[in-house]
Amino acid sequence: MGGTAGVIDIDGQTVEFQEGESVLAAALRQGVSIPNLCYDERLQAFGGCRVCAVVVEGARGFPAACTLQAEADMKISTQDPELVAMRRNLLAMVVSENGAENLEVDPLRGYTSQALRGWVEAEQVDTERFAGRRSGQSRMDDPNPFILRDYDLCISCYRCVRVCAEQEGDYAISVMNRGFDTRITVEFEGVLGDSACTFCGQCVQTCPTGALADKKALRFAAT
Amino acid sequence: MESRTDTDLIAQAKDQPAPLLWLLDAFHRRDDRLTPEAMRAIAQGLRMPLADLYGTVTFYHHLALGDEGRQQPRVCTGPVCRFHGAEQWMAEHPQAKAMACAGRCDAPVPVLEGDHTRVLAGSGLTPAPQGPLPAPNPGGLPECVFEHIREPDQNQLRGYAARGGFEALNRALDRGPGFVLDTLTDSGLTGRGGAGFPTGLKWRSVREAEGALKTIICNADEGEPGCFKDRAILEYDPYAVLEAMMLAAWVTGARLGFIYLRYEYPEILQLLTQALDDARNEGYLGPDNRMGTDFDIHIRRGAGAYVCGEEGSLLNSLEGRHPFPRNRPPYPVTHGYLQQPTVVNNVETLAAVPHILCHGAEWYRDLGRGELAGTKIISLSGDIQRPDNYEVPFGFPLSELLYDWAGGPATGRSIQAVSMAGLSGGFLGAGDLDVTLDEPSVRSRNSMLGAGGIIVFDDSRNMVDVAHNAMEFFAHESCGKCFPCRIGTQRLTERLAAVPDHPDQEGWHREVADIGQVMLNLSACGLGVAASFVSDTLLRNFPAQVGLEENEGD
Repeated sequence: MGGTAGVIDIDGQTVEFQEGESVLAAALRQGVSIPNLCYDERLQAFGGCRVCAVVVEGARGFPAACTLQAEADMKISTQDPELVAMRRNLLAMVVSENGAENLEVDPLRGYTSQALRGWVEAEQVDTERFAGRRSGQSRMDDPNPFILRDYDLCISCYRCVRVCAEQEGDYAISVMNRGFDTRITVEFEGVLGDSACTFCGQCVQTCPTGALADKKALRFAAT
Repeated sequence: MESRTDTDLIAQAKDQPAPLLWLLDAFHRRDDRLTPEAMRAIAQGLRMPLADLYGTVTFYHHLALGDEGRQQPRVCTGPVCRFHGAEQWMAEHPQAKAMACAGRCDAPVPVLEGDHTRVLAGSGLTPAPQGPLPAPNPGGLPECVFEHIREPDQNQLRGYAARGGFEALNRALDRGPGFVLDTLTDSGLTGRGGAGFPTGLKWRSVREAEGALKTIICNADEGEPGCFKDRAILEYDPYAVLEAMMLAAWVTGARLGFIYLRYEYPEILQLLTQALDDARNEGYLGPDNRMGTDFDIHIRRGAGAYVCGEEGSLLNSLEGRHPFPRNRPPYPVTHGYLQQPTVVNNVETLAAVPHILCHGAEWYRDLGRGELAGTKIISLSGDIQRPDNYEVPFGFPLSELLYDWAGGPATGRSIQAVSMAGLSGGFLGAGDLDVTLDEPSVRSRNSMLGAGGIIVFDDSRNMVDVAHNAMEFFAHESCGKCFPCRIGTQRLTERLAAVPDHPDQEGWHREVADIGQVMLNLSACGLGVAASFVSDTLLRNFPAQVGLEENEGD
């Protein structure tokens, strides 16, 4: 990327962007907050969680800021009332996957483990709505001494799968099944020790819910 | 092929484009399932991560992994078949497995066993290698796509050629690419898979795009419940589709072609394989063909995933990637197969092209009513006397199709609802049967015409149950990439299982409406949007059945 290519306006704040940069990347780089869950600045934008949806003045719909290329003089709102209401409902749907009681996790689980909880609090989400079947399926049977696979907290953002492929080049984990039944897996639903996993810990440090955790750090956890 | 070794199959796959789908199908046939050893061999042979391969294989519901195998009977439990004994048969045959709508709604209930289709007949099964041929146009109206489809040898190269087949190609070779592009643009032909993008503009964009490898893809992954038009076209007039692909290739400079065919049409796979061989033997395809190129067409078989009809998923599937939809832009016309310029057209769109080039743009335009250009195939099924594929002018009254052409509902019954766009447009009530068959009219009732599947539900049906079944389908087919659809289709399936009793109804309505709004506006592809139409039209058009005040429209 080169120098500044122009500026955009996000909720009244002026944000400069570089050639080819997305609205979300430009905003976060300059400390302007837009809620997001499946985004990690080191990874290709995925466009999965849709929590970073915005309103662009003069355009239709609610594009995801992570895949929306910034263009000079774009006027972006994250506070449009209809958008705020939908974002709140979307986050409530996400909470319903694993239940409100699973929002609170020990910060020792990982660097970004508080992300979902943080956005739920900031957006004043009603965490009791949309209750239903849970999506997670933890792999507490995985005996490796390093990585806790507590998928009861997983929200299927696939940051772990993508960091493993894009940053580490290990391709040890992947997505199996589809829809509400998607799971994070290694080949044949085995354990990490039998897979291409190198226990680098990148997946732990990008997980936004604490579904993946550092087992050794958890020895110092409060409970 | 059954005795081929792993090494043979992998070597053959590596000589071909889009090797993974070909290889999965080959191993699946050879071993009757995909064994862990086969997956290890494929991963090693194609140099792909085993975890990725395993994850992707589990995405496709027709690939058998366990002992049940490929021959395990798969029974269609789609929205029409479930009213024709599919669920009872399933209950009596626990060894069978349910499959989503398999595109035989005009002659239910199909049971797929390996490469053979049979249909339920009484308590047994009858072989049904062919689907029904569309009946002659009941209104005696001129047709485009179905112009020659009823001729007995139309699906043979000689028969096709005898009735003006390849005339469009000859004219194009004579008059140049500009003739093709101008005629298509002037004709007003748009994408018949539902998206409605102008075909001439798509071809022109690919012609003008920079790229060393250009590709033409026929999207024959017809998975929309209640849609069976592509099946009829491919079965009875396949060369029209092949000729259109040749035209597209010649105009755009493409050398590579694919037909992405849904798994549930094994007999058509066989027929198309033969048709391609015959076309190669006659010099229409392959090295040094009549167009002076080496354009050829490869069939790749889907493996049971509705979302692969979405073009981004289709492209990822062909490339051997996990079949999630792609973020747009960029679009396939510049970044399609292997990120190169690509035409992706629906079967029906392609099938219209040779007719338009032979008869002229004006002829095609004038087939539509008023300002609307051309025709649409409507797959009509459900509670109607004569389910069939009907070619209608755009702007044709729905009520005329239902009552005058198709004979209306059974005696003593009345029409309560019709689905639109298969299931993707939700359900119109009896008060909306005055629409005409075109997007502006159907969209004015908060629905869409889409791919043109219409399922009729008479007054004996419970619309909450119908909507629940539809939402189950979308939940089953949701890919799992975007949160609004992955979570929303699941939650709405749970909600639509039953309307609660009175004190809890208000909260239920609010939840259903709020989830639908999130799915409609925030989903990453059309699947989540379509699913929102199911619940939205249920609340809107059938208020009495969901405990809302009774008002007009129900």
